[in-house]
Amino acid sequence: MASYTFKGGIHIPNPYPVKEPEVRQVAPPEQAVLLLQQRVGGEASPCVKIGDRVLTGQVIAKTTSKYPTHVHASVSGVISAIEKRPIPHPSGIEAMCIVIDSDGKDEWIEIEKCDKDFSRCTPEKVIQRIREAGIVGMGGAGFPTHAKISNAQGTHTLIVNATECEPGIMCDDALMQHYPREVIRGAEVLMHACGAKKAIIAIEDDKQEACNSLLMYNFNDQIDVVQIPTKYTSGAEKLLIKTLLDIEIPAGEFASDHGVLCQNIGTVKAIYDAVIDNKPLISRIVTVTGSAVQEPRNYEARLGTSFAAVVAQSNPNNNPHHIRMGGMMMGIDVPNVEHSICKITNCIFVNNVIPAPEVQSCIRCGQCNTVCPVGLLPQQLFWYAKSENTDRAMDYNLGACIECRCCDVVCPSHIPLAQYFFFAKALHHKRTVDQQRTDMARERFEFKEFRIERNKKERAEMMAKKKEELKKKMAQDKTQKDKIAQAAARVKNKESSER
Amino acid sequence: MLESVLIFSVLALALGLILGYAAIKFKVVGNPVVDQIDSILPQTQCGQCDFAGCRPYAEAIAKGEAQINQCPPGGQEGVDALAELLGVETLPLNEEFGENKTDHVVYVDEQVCIGCTLCIQACPVDAFVGSSKVMTTVIADECTGCDLCIPVCPVDCIHIEELPTTLSNYVPNLQEVGRG
Repeated sequence: MASYTFKGGIHIPNPYPVKEPEVRQVAPPEQAVLLLQQRVGGEASPCVKIGDRVLTGQVIAKTTSKYPTHVHASVSGVISAIEKRPIPHPSGIEAMCIVIDSDGKDEWIEIEKCDKDFSRCTPEKVIQRIREAGIVGMGGAGFPTHAKISNAQGTHTLIVNATECEPGIMCDDALMQHYPREVIRGAEVLMHACGAKKAIIAIEDDKQEACNSLLMYNFNDQIDVVQIPTKYTSGAEKLLIKTLLDIEIPAGEFASDHGVLCQNIGTVKAIYDAVIDNKPLISRIVTVTGSAVQEPRNYEARLGTSFAAVVAQSNPNNNPHHIRMGGMMMGIDVPNVEHSICKITNCIFVNNVIPAPEVQSCIRCGQCNTVCPVGLLPQQLFWYAKSENTDRAMDYNLGACIECRCCDVVCPSHIPLAQYFFFAKALHHKRTVDQQRTDMARERFEFKEFRIERNKKERAEMMAKKKEELKKKMAQDKTQKDKIAQAAARVKNKESSER
Repeated sequence: MLESVLIFSVLALALGLILGYAAIKFKVVGNPVVDQIDSILPQTQCGQCDFAGCRPYAEAIAKGEAQINQCPPGGQEGVDALAELLGVETLPLNEEFGENKTDHVVYVDEQVCIGCTLCIQACPVDAFVGSSKVMTTVIADECTGCDLCIPVCPVDCIHIEELPTTLSNYVPNLQEVGRG
């Protein structure tokens, strides 16, 4: 039975708890910048032109391939640009975005009436609606939800991940307190869609109010609300499954292979909106916190709202800031507040700039090995990553690293281990792709050589055959030969007569 | 005395037969070093090394007819890898054969293309699609960036396109990672 804990991990108290229970609504932005690429899959292609007027909830970019999702307008207004803008990613690279200048009316597209009783829809229909609403995993990974559910047919247990283990993020806590009914109904929709007979909503035991509010609305005896000990990385999918069901999923396998489907609680709420109300995903709850804001708080903001607009409401101080999207552990540093809120922005950290501690050499203390929640050897991996020996690193299961940064936190030499691992994974991926290209080029070159050789040979054979045939024909054609003989004789006669 | 001579003669004969059979049965076709060298070369097939492609160059290296530093697309890393494989001192990349350019592919300016098919014949990896007097195009995924098609084009409609950094091919800088 469930052990309710796992090996490794660390306990970090929340440094800036949100004191206010309510979620503040942020006014729809004057300009919304919407990303066409999510974290997984390619880009959706725009189906509007510059100058078009769009309504809130209207599809502005479509896709037909498996992973990417539709993009919906989050405000009503006029499309002012379709261009490349920097996206929140460590590389700071640019990707296609659609910019909408709001007309301030927030006029919604007409929402089709839909069957509120989802149990009368087939699971395929439900998944289709989830896909059309543009829902991706809202815990931070951004994996397309429709793809995840379709892959998980034959699930026995649905796990709703409400652990929110990263210290600082409080958006799911607020969501559960404000939308408990929606969350429970959403879980029922999901159970219907994936065929699960049981659902577990997992909450860390430091969120008592959220747990109470869910219990108040939970009248379904197939849904359990379970509290687990507060420990960082308890929310990682595989660890949560180990914690709750005592099923250990090996590296390289997925939860769906073991009949488990894991969904973030924010995603579940979005699924409720999509399936019951037929509303696309155009807003989300974001926590603004950090050492530079006086009032850490939760906001519900439209997608595409700039970080600046939300951060300004939390009274940041006037010092230079260090901005981070996502949690203090697994988040991404971004250069400024000019980025816009996307589907995976669960938190914005605004910190005072403090100099990073100096990186020193590894003293092989082995503390990182003790805290690694997935049982890797960060110390060993570090040497391989540093020397770019990705093959050896992969032998030591680098691929299983969840980049939780537990090893960074305990490292007495302040070595940014997780960044090294991110680097090594990216390098390994690039090398694999390059190798595939190289192999293909070799194959194609060799085939071209072979083809030229073959064509030459075939041509030579054909010519030889033709020559042969011609010779035979000549030999057979006696009249021709006779004619030649006669002509030769005539010439001879003529020559002799002339003499 | 006779017994031991007999035993050893039989043994020698039997083992000799086995070895002889193995030499025929498990004969290594071609030079395995050529394959190993070929696997290090970037397979651009650009011919900058003065050989007709990567495999001919690999064969020349194996025979000792070419230096290991004649492959600009492989860069210094490639030279080092070859030196390690062959157990020789590494050499600096010979700039006479060309410079190491960044990853790129070519594309055809389709408005200008006259369909002469010269590029199709020049391409070592068949990355062009086209035919006589019709527009030609490049399959970007299969282009190795060897640039052999650029000089043969009579209307100069083939241009270089740098490969952009995307989420799937981004690799952070190791020096920056180390600084924390």
